[in-house]
Amino acid sequence: MTTALLPSSSFRKALLERGGATAGKCYQCATCSSVCDLAPAAAPFPRRQMLWAQWGLADRLAGDPSVWLCHQCNDCTARCPRDARPGDVLQAVRGLLVEDLAFPRFLGRLVGNAGTTWPLLLGLPILFWIALLAAAGLLSVPQSFHAYEQLVPHWLIYAVYLPVAGYVAAVSWVSGRRLWRALGAGGPRSGSFFGQLMPVATEIATHKRFAKCGTAASRRSGHLALFWGFVGAAVTSGLLIIAIYIQGLPMPLPLAHPYKILGNLSALLLLVGAGILVANRLRDGKRTGVSTAFDSYFAWLVGLVIVSGIVVELARLLAGDGMVSPAVALGLYVAHLGVVLALFLSFPYSKFAHLLYRTLAIVHQRMADRKEPTAA
Amino acid sequence: MSDPSLPLLVVGAGISGITAALEAAEAGRPVVLLEKEAFVGGRVIKSHHYFPKLCPPSCGMEINTRRLERNPRVRVITQAEVVASRPIPGGREVTVRQAPAYVNDRCTACGACSSVCPAKVDDSFNLEMGQVPAIRLAHANAWPHRYLLDRPACPPECRACVEACPHQAIDLAARPTEETLQVGATVVATGWRPYPIAKLPELGGGRHPDVIANVQLERLAAPGGPTGGKILRPSNGQPPRRVAFVQCAGSRDVNHLPYCSAVCCLASLKQALYVHEQYPEAEIAIYYIDRRAPGRNEDLLTRVAAVQSVRLVKGKVGRVEPSADGALLLTVEDVESGRRLEASADLVVLATGMVPNLDHGSALDVKRDADGFGRDSVELGLLVAGVARRPEDVASSVRDATGAAARALAAAGRRA
Amino acid sequence: MERLGVFLCAGCGLGDALDLGALESVTQESKPAHLSRHPCLCSPEGVESIRQAAEQGNLEGALLGACSHRVKQQEFRFDPAKLVVERVSLREQVVWSHPAQQEDTQQLAEDLLKMGLTKLAKAKPAAPITDTLAPAVLVVGGGQAGLEAAAAAAGLGHPVLLVEKSGSLGGHLGRTRDRLPQGPSYEELEPNRLADRIAEIQAHPAIRIFTSARVRALRGQPGRFQAEIETLKGVESVEVGAVVQATGARPYDARRLPHLGYGASPNVVTSEELETMLFAGSLRRPTDGKLPERVVFVQCAGSRDPNHLPYCSADCCGVTLRQMAAIHRDYPRVETVTVYRDMRTPGQLERFYAAVQSHAASLFTRGEVEAVEGNGHLTVRLRDSLLGPSLSLDADLVVLAVGMVPNSADGEAIRALRDARRRVEKAESETQRQEAQKLVDQLGHHQGTEILNLEYRQGPDLPLLRYGFPDSHFICFPYETRRTGIYAAGALRAPMEAGQAAEDGWGAALKAVQCINAAARGEAVHPRAGDPELPDFFLQRCTQCKRCTEECPFGTLNEDEKGTPQLNALRCRRCGICMGACPERIISFPAYSVDAVASMIRAMSVPEEFEEKPRILALMCENDALPALDAAAEKRRQWNPWVRVVPVRCLGSVNLVWIADSLSRGLDGVILIGCKRGDDNQCHYVRGSELAHTRLGNIQETLTRLALEPERVKIVELAHDESERIPEILDGFAATLEDLGPSPLKGF
Repeated sequence: MTTALLPSSSFRKALLERGGATAGKCYQCATCSSVCDLAPAAAPFPRRQMLWAQWGLADRLAGDPSVWLCHQCNDCTARCPRDARPGDVLQAVRGLLVEDLAFPRFLGRLVGNAGTTWPLLLGLPILFWIALLAAAGLLSVPQSFHAYEQLVPHWLIYAVYLPVAGYVAAVSWVSGRRLWRALGAGGPRSGSFFGQLMPVATEIATHKRFAKCGTAASRRSGHLALFWGFVGAAVTSGLLIIAIYIQGLPMPLPLAHPYKILGNLSALLLLVGAGILVANRLRDGKRTGVSTAFDSYFAWLVGLVIVSGIVVELARLLAGDGMVSPAVALGLYVAHLGVVLALFLSFPYSKFAHLLYRTLAIVHQRMADRKEPTAA
Repeated sequence: MSDPSLPLLVVGAGISGITAALEAAEAGRPVVLLEKEAFVGGRVIKSHHYFPKLCPPSCGMEINTRRLERNPRVRVITQAEVVASRPIPGGREVTVRQAPAYVNDRCTACGACSSVCPAKVDDSFNLEMGQVPAIRLAHANAWPHRYLLDRPACPPECRACVEACPHQAIDLAARPTEETLQVGATVVATGWRPYPIAKLPELGGGRHPDVIANVQLERLAAPGGPTGGKILRPSNGQPPRRVAFVQCAGSRDVNHLPYCSAVCCLASLKQALYVHEQYPEAEIAIYYIDRRAPGRNEDLLTRVAAVQSVRLVKGKVGRVEPSADGALLLTVEDVESGRRLEASADLVVLATGMVPNLDHGSALDVKRDADGFGRDSVELGLLVAGVARRPEDVASSVRDATGAAARALAAAGRRA
Repeated sequence: MERLGVFLCAGCGLGDALDLGALESVTQESKPAHLSRHPCLCSPEGVESIRQAAEQGNLEGALLGACSHRVKQQEFRFDPAKLVVERVSLREQVVWSHPAQQEDTQQLAEDLLKMGLTKLAKAKPAAPITDTLAPAVLVVGGGQAGLEAAAAAAGLGHPVLLVEKSGSLGGHLGRTRDRLPQGPSYEELEPNRLADRIAEIQAHPAIRIFTSARVRALRGQPGRFQAEIETLKGVESVEVGAVVQATGARPYDARRLPHLGYGASPNVVTSEELETMLFAGSLRRPTDGKLPERVVFVQCAGSRDPNHLPYCSADCCGVTLRQMAAIHRDYPRVETVTVYRDMRTPGQLERFYAAVQSHAASLFTRGEVEAVEGNGHLTVRLRDSLLGPSLSLDADLVVLAVGMVPNSADGEAIRALRDARRRVEKAESETQRQEAQKLVDQLGHHQGTEILNLEYRQGPDLPLLRYGFPDSHFICFPYETRRTGIYAAGALRAPMEAGQAAEDGWGAALKAVQCINAAARGEAVHPRAGDPELPDFFLQRCTQCKRCTEECPFGTLNEDEKGTPQLNALRCRRCGICMGACPERIISFPAYSVDAVASMIRAMSVPEEFEEKPRILALMCENDALPALDAAAEKRRQWNPWVRVVPVRCLGSVNLVWIADSLSRGLDGVILIGCKRGDDNQCHYVRGSELAHTRLGNIQETLTRLALEPERVKIVELAHDESERIPEILDGFAATLEDLGPSPLKGF
């Protein structure tokens, strides 16, 4: 049966703005598909996706798991005889898809265009906190303090973040469903979702696929550190709730306390991970791909959270000896709370979302084609 | 406007240089033809057959060497290079250095020397595949028909050949000679060299003996080649059962040669027939990006596509790696089926491209483009012909060279 | 020729392997004016000894019993007008290929010497005609190639007559704004400066231009062609020395591609028609005059298709890229899509391809266009494209990149058609009439395609190679046509891009100039360039059988009304095919004639039956077979000593009388060894090998009539590089003859 081709010039334009301009140079030699170790033999990428991108066939890309299976190792980019940079093109495609899958979409667009909207994206959450504290009459600073609890009570923090977490979960669910449907249109799936989810989770936890990357192998360690850093941070936050409301431990916890150690360890992982990735990007554009606002906004945000977090902790320690005035400490703390909020809120709309989408794509791939997808 | 009374200088006696020299001389112009090798014929004489007719280059070369011999207006200087050049009114004065004439033109090619020569050297005519005596006839139809001595390979004090030669044609003490010539216009036809496969390690180039360049297969298929015309796997001398041709090995690739080398598709189609004619059972695969067979060369594509045992697969090979069974494994996406294959082959031919050979032109300071291809400087009476100018096949080179000869004569004003 | 000298060489092992003394006494029998032996005849001293002997004994001919005539040519070159040299290959054909000091080897050397002497005795010094001839070059066709051919010929100092059938010069390229990049960076369109070039050419004092003109008639031969040029003003008769035909190519008729919607919708146009739009600066959709949003280019429209043009037109990919680039530049919002089978952008054109691709509005896919449907708004149906097995794509304008068809005419076919028509009118029998009628029906479509209107017996135009391109050896000698002095250039000769056509004009012009010079010296052009010999026809004995006029591959001979051949010596390429064709043996060259070879055959020894030594004549083509023999000898391959080799210029020059003579003399067999024939023939005279096969086919029954086994005469194809086959071929034939037993005609 004949299907109609619907090239979209607007998609091509968007792709061009998002760093996918080089797709045009591709002459379909398929070197990329043959050197990519992540691509399944039955459905190799990114040669096909390059052509779709070139033509602006948005619908095909939206329903294609390969876009998410790509880890941007850039083995393809390094070998591409036309310097069409498939790694970058797929990265740009993912950016557009995140924006497109986002709920509500305008937020997706907002984060997607972080290049220009970042002051808004960072400013609003911080202002929100200031306003909140003002309303709660908490802007009056005591002479001295030993714990941030004295400045901003925990209940208030959770009162903000728990609903936000809920919101993030909800919109992620909507976006996730959108992708899952789009993928499903591609063909039948078999087996149970959760049956496949477990192995995929472990695969992701160990970054098994990333290990196959040749050209940008060092990205794996960075990405792995970042990944576990986030997990650690999340767990720590959970533990803290237990510590405060169930165990009733006094805050702040001593540095030697396991929870504390876990928290700081996570921060360290995040710091190291981000460090490696940034270093990679700075080192060699061709091998690691060009940075777009979409990537860098996320990178910066993560960076800010980590740095502000560490600064805030230091501030508290130093405040004890009166080296930092509570006012300054409070300022720093509010800023930290602000960027954390910004990070939370941007999860479904930023690069972070690929955690969700890639997971779904791999699960889909396993359900669509039961055997382990590697070179035949 | 260069001086018509001065001879035309043609640098390089491959098919383009010979053609330019002969066409100018047959139009009545004195010509000096320089060749750095000891014999004329350049790259074409090292090919087994021409596409698309699959006829031996020596057939046309026979006519051309006859023309060279019969034409008193052409002076051929072999083993010679231009080492200096300066403009003079109406042309240029060039300094030509000629390698020592260890074997002079008293040589009758009787072979007495070769049979007593104790030293063996790599056979440069057969691209270093196989060994030959240090003094030998470069190839069956070598012209000038004279033996060639690889002097550095001589054992100390060895005079075996000198004593064996009945015609006093060998002088081991010969020295290089230099000569200054005043010439009018110049045609540079220094041709090309193959892109080295060692620069393609991901395709197994220089890593596995059974990964060879297309130019090597020409010699393996040629009766005068190292295997007497039998196509055999270099690793074990066995006939290949599965042969893979990797197109655009280095060409059309910004990491290597950004241009298309224009002949590799046809060369591989032709070579697929060499293999098929010797081994009708052999499975042959040609992995390509585009099948480029312009003009009537399309017939060759049609002919090869009709051969049962030949598969033309759209998809550029990404990797060639040795496999457990001693064969080679090619990784490539078959674009038409959209699947990635791991094809096995026991002989892999890299269809490498052409790199312009303008090191010789450099003494004449030829203008060059980013890839080293020469550009005409008509105002200086300096014209470039053949593959030194652009990647092209033999027929186009001949056309090109004839045109260049005409432009050179016109630049010099004609007097025939 | 009376005063002959015999010079034997003792070098290269001849002295050791042969009894030279015996050879000398044998040659004494024929009382040569001079006889000497030299230890190394090709050495400066040896050559000097020949020169002195020739001067002192004022010799007319010299027989060199040394090495093959293919080596030491320069050493043994003497003025052919003063001293005719005949070389006997005692080295390659005797001592290197046969055991030393043996009776058979000695006998072989003796025979070869005797044969050489006989041939030399028959030879006459060449008497070339020299004449001052018309220097002008006639260029037919004022397109890219023709214009440059005119500029070239003028630049080479010759007057030029440029004939263009249309009202203006420039051809296809005259109607384009841009041209493909010709130099670095190879990524930008270049402005088409043809108009300036035309102005230069029009201003050139040596170039006369005839527009709206045609060649009404062309007669004569190189150096003295008579051309009648018909213009609106009337007919002018001019003298020209040579001709360049650059009549170019025309786009393939798109109406033959109905499935691509041409004719069905005005929005389907050819690249030629799009060119006109772009040239006029108005890209419009014909149906509604709106700017198209999407233009789809269909590559290989008619090309690479057995039902249309089996060849690739070579230019279309470049043209499409050029037009895409122009659209991107002038109409940035228009989306351009190209559907190709293979993008063919050789050399640096690849860079331009990449540059065009990089534009956001240019889309490419490999695929087959199955159909173009609709009228105003079009739908393009794609099969097996990279985007899917079966797809449709909307388009506002579809451009068919149609291939090119050479503007040539098949002279042979036209002549055959004329003859057939004549036979239909006055046929002797009804069957004859029907056969002729069949031919007329086959060739009917050829009428009215004359371009040069040659008054040649073999038809009014250049004979064609496959697919209507009128060249001959399109690899090694691309300019050689089969009409001496008439050279094809540009897209007429082979499918090519405009830039190449320009270069081609220069090449063809040089060939034309060469031909004029050669004619002035009375010399042959390719492949026997410089050969001063001319054929001589002893017409008193001609029976008007017309074989020579029919079979000359180069259309040298005309006929008078009685059918007597009229020689146009300067059209002759000296192959001797006419000589081979003539049953009356009235055609001969000074140093190569039926009589000369016949007497060589008579000069060879024929052993008696009881000796059980067959005698074999091998007639070998000197261009490919003989070099292979030499190469085999150089590798010291051995072969049967009963074979006597006689080199021939071309198997086509073999006259059957030689075979008849040999057999009647009691020779046991005759083998002809020559070039490959057929479409990919390697015969430098195009048809020689072909004709030899046909002629031989005809004498087989004659043999049977003479109670001779047909196996006694054999013809073999051998390529230049097949020296390894020589022993097998000759020994194999000898073996066959031994099985057959001695010739029954021995001793008659």
